[in-house]
Amino acid sequence: MKQVNIPSGANLAQLYRDLQPDYPKFFKMDVVSKLGFLLTEMLVAGEAGRFQPRQDRAVLVFSRQGCLANDTHYAATMADFPSPALFVYTLPNIVSGEIAIRNKYAGETSAYVLESYNKDTMWELVRQAFQDRITQSAIVAWIDCPTDTQWTAEAFLVNRNDL
Amino acid sequence: MKKVYCIGCGVVTPVGDTPKGVFQAVREGRSALCLHPGFPEPFFASLMPRDCTAPGTLFDHMVKEAAAAAVKEAGIDASSPRTGLILSSIKGNVEMLGHGSADVSLAVQARRLAQALGVTTAPVVVSNACISGLAALVQGMRMIQGGQFDQVIVAGCEVQSRFIVTGFQSLKALSLQACRPFDEARDGLNLGEAAAAMVLSSQPMTPMTLGEIGFSSSRTKNNFPQPWELVSGCIRNDANHISGPSRTGEGSYNALQYVLEDARPEALAFVNVHGTATRYNDEMEAIALGRAGLEKLPVNALKGIFGHTMGAAGILESIVSMQALEAGVVLPTKGYENLGVSVPVNVSAQERPAQGSQFIKLLSGFGGVNGALLFQKGGAL
Amino acid sequence: MEQLINEIKLKVIEALNLEGMTPQDIEDTAPLFGDEGLGLDSIDVLELIVLLEKNYGIRLATPADGKAVFTSIATMASYVQAHRTK
Repeated sequence: MKQVNIPSGANLAQLYRDLQPDYPKFFKMDVVSKLGFLLTEMLVAGEAGRFQPRQDRAVLVFSRQGCLANDTHYAATMADFPSPALFVYTLPNIVSGEIAIRNKYAGETSAYVLESYNKDTMWELVRQAFQDRITQSAIVAWIDCPTDTQWTAEAFLVNRNDL
Repeated sequence: MKKVYCIGCGVVTPVGDTPKGVFQAVREGRSALCLHPGFPEPFFASLMPRDCTAPGTLFDHMVKEAAAAAVKEAGIDASSPRTGLILSSIKGNVEMLGHGSADVSLAVQARRLAQALGVTTAPVVVSNACISGLAALVQGMRMIQGGQFDQVIVAGCEVQSRFIVTGFQSLKALSLQACRPFDEARDGLNLGEAAAAMVLSSQPMTPMTLGEIGFSSSRTKNNFPQPWELVSGCIRNDANHISGPSRTGEGSYNALQYVLEDARPEALAFVNVHGTATRYNDEMEAIALGRAGLEKLPVNALKGIFGHTMGAAGILESIVSMQALEAGVVLPTKGYENLGVSVPVNVSAQERPAQGSQFIKLLSGFGGVNGALLFQKGGAL
Repeated sequence: MEQLINEIKLKVIEALNLEGMTPQDIEDTAPLFGDEGLGLDSIDVLELIVLLEKNYGIRLATPADGKAVFTSIATMASYVQAHRTK
């Protein structure tokens, strides 16, 4: 099982440049989606057959705040000119969608909100996701961002026989 | 794989607060959808009355009432270590954002619900855009089939707010009239509010209920009706765009294909679809249904009555569909008149007889996510 | 008009988070949407609709109305010139 993390406050634009994913849409994403995108790059860059559409890889994202920073950003535009882009990023599952789109993962994408980063709870839910008979592997991510510059961001690539 | 049953339901909606009452409302075409003054633009929605004076938010009241009703019907012990709780919601109590130190995390909502119900295990929140309710039911199934719990309370709730309304307005997704699923004149969705809950169980009946109805070892189990079974559920992403549905209905089609493996063609009575009445969603669903070979199967949509109840939709619309199949009918699709999608779909504004004992609940959501869940009406035990 | 075109380019770059782009990088008549263009999508259309309203007081009711308007920076500028209320 592979594990990666991005330290709180790291320069994400720099990390993007270091990884060279050639994906300009990155800059439209909110901080949660940027973290999810980068964590996945770190996990699967160079994987054989990457970008072939597949249904057998799930994307499971966990957090406590959902995306509180995004809620505040959107709310600030609510008064006069609500921003559609900011609104869309206030949904906890959008990061899983961004990962799926980038990597052509046409399998399950799920998003959970837990009271805290409880690994027992998280891994039980991950184990249960493999009840989907087609799922053979999963990107599992805990991404929690109270603000745009502080976070806990950790991700794993887990295979069915790891569990 | 263990079977998973639904042994209790509860609903709180603007048109009724019992499953039977709500089913009757749909049958009669009664809806609370109407125009509301907005922020500043008006919006068409089905909202709960805001006359509750008890402490706590509307969200708390609704979700607790629906979940408590389901727990009561099921006759389970909510405080048992074998009882789980899942909350489904997209934005929870987001209208509290900015009000002092209110913690608007969905996790806090779930903990409050657990306390209100007497649940002692740690609750989980499923927040997967508009498919949340369906995803929560699938998660409940997995918890039981995985042996983590013997029964799971799955409760979904959504309350509308300036936050959500202005958000959908900025996406130009809303219609200013009662929505028209699959109709050629459809021009957007209506928002809705509701709470809905199911108790899922590995047992078709609890010892308490069996005791109440006088089951004794001298009578065989064959005398008692089996409750509904949740047979198979699947979630699939289009991997295409975060707010626009796939033009080929990829995720929806894949989710359908998965659950159809457990469906019996002669038993499948209808598909209750997402049917939000946006130009794109209904077109996408029609394409997915066509690709899955279901163009002749009766299809119905309920958002012409309830509007889009977001976190509650998957559970509410499933409960209403269960009521419909119990009564042997495919409910009318309010708002539909003339087919306005490029692929034929068997949808109707009239009620029709239902042939079969299974139905599929289909939903789609932002983030490119789609879900399908196959339900089976119980026969004798 | 040239000043308006440059102003619109700056606002588009900011509104759509077009990282690292300057007005010189965007041709006046280059298509905004589609693979040959800036590769903008449906949410970007909606953000451009907000941009028109916020900065120039122009209200477009639906994304469909926006299709012709948002063909290129040049068509946007013509439209703004003709319809601005601010």
